[in-house]
Amino acid sequence: MSVTSPAEREELNRLLIQTGRNDQKAFAELYKRTSSKLFGVCLRMLRDRSEAEEVLQETYTTVWRRAAGFDAAKASAITWLITLSRNKAIDRLRQHREELMDDPSKLEQTVDDQPTPAAGAETSQEYGRLQHCLDALEPQQRDSVREAFFTGATYNELATRSKVPLGTMKSWIRRSLMQLRVCLEQ
Amino acid sequence: MNTPADEGNDNLRYAEYVLGVLDADARAAVAQEVQTTDEAAAAVALWQRRLMPLSDEIASVTPGAYVWVRIHDDLQLDVPVAATRTQPSKGLWNNLPLWHWLGIGASALAVALLVVIALPHRETAPAVTASAGYMVSTIQQDNGVTGWTATMDLDRARMVVVPAAPVALASGRAPELWLIPQGGKPISVGMITRDAPTTITLDSSLLAKLGPTALLAVSVEPIGGSPTGQPTGAVIAKGSISGSPDAHDHVVRVATTFNGMGDGRSV
Repeated sequence: MSVTSPAEREELNRLLIQTGRNDQKAFAELYKRTSSKLFGVCLRMLRDRSEAEEVLQETYTTVWRRAAGFDAAKASAITWLITLSRNKAIDRLRQHREELMDDPSKLEQTVDDQPTPAAGAETSQEYGRLQHCLDALEPQQRDSVREAFFTGATYNELATRSKVPLGTMKSWIRRSLMQLRVCLEQ
Repeated sequence: MNTPADEGNDNLRYAEYVLGVLDADARAAVAQEVQTTDEAAAAVALWQRRLMPLSDEIASVTPGAYVWVRIHDDLQLDVPVAATRTQPSKGLWNNLPLWHWLGIGASALAVALLVVIALPHRETAPAVTASAGYMVSTIQQDNGVTGWTATMDLDRARMVVVPAAPVALASGRAPELWLIPQGGKPISVGMITRDAPTTITLDSSLLAKLGPTALLAVSVEPIGGSPTGQPTGAVIAKGSISGSPDAHDHVVRVATTFNGMGDGRSV
């Protein structure tokens, strides 16, 4: 299912706006079109199917309750939805953080194993621009930004995984973010 | 008033929030700001626009059909629950290796409860509330190999029959399932298959006869079933019926087992 074509994005915006008006059919259709994308996002971060399904469930119950606050002028529906699922998944990860820190073997397991775009994943124009700007970063720093985005790891966790001091990881990521901003604004 | 340097720091904090690297406390602080100040909300929205395209790289994965059922029940929606089901339970029902694995490696009860979990239903969790509501049977061939497992869901008046090991049949022949009450004549339950799960609706007279004193048996019949209403071919497998007193404990274990299996990826 593609959520990247402009026509599909428009349709998702419409469905989310309708959902905000308590339109249950629109909500069901929105779920049908977006749940596998959002589940992919949750699964990539949580790496546990049942936990990802719980977060997915929470995400959509929140969508139903908060859809009235969606403003298509500020963000597209798919960005709004992915952001919501990411936030819920990251919150869940933070709840587990202590448990993970107690067991370094688990930390190792959470290292992202999909460093390149999934085969067949459809990408948007915006993705192309971001990719171009990411390519301009130092390889190690680019990898850290990607790892952070896909796994939802904290600075501490990233530093542990990459075996660099916390301060180094922070400056890598911060420098990368500033470079990305400049590059994307060109 | 913010100096340019402060603005830079704030901006980075919003970027860090969107990227997801902040710890729980720092995250909560930014989330709070987003709720209360327009500047924070705008800065976060801008960073979302910048970074969120990375999620294009993430492959879609179809979640279990029961997730929508749970959402539907949670929110007490009126729309038919099937409204989202494009490919009902695809990952599970059509996963023959999984069924075979379960049939061979797991107890009939485990299969039973997996089925209960997997089939979308309207009731909210826990999936099993009345553990007395299920009966199971391991239908074994004469050589001791399990041919099928049958799960009887008494509350929903249905039986799911799952093949474990493929059974060889002559062409033009099909397996038919029978219920044999103690001291009674076989009653046809329905046609089953050698290679896919079959769900059979049970009528009330059949339901009433299920129990530990009855047997399930499979005979070889013409396609379409016995012409006489009684078995006409060889009985190739049979099994007794038992209840599932500790169903609730199993449901958790089986759910865990299932969740650990194939991730149903789709791109």
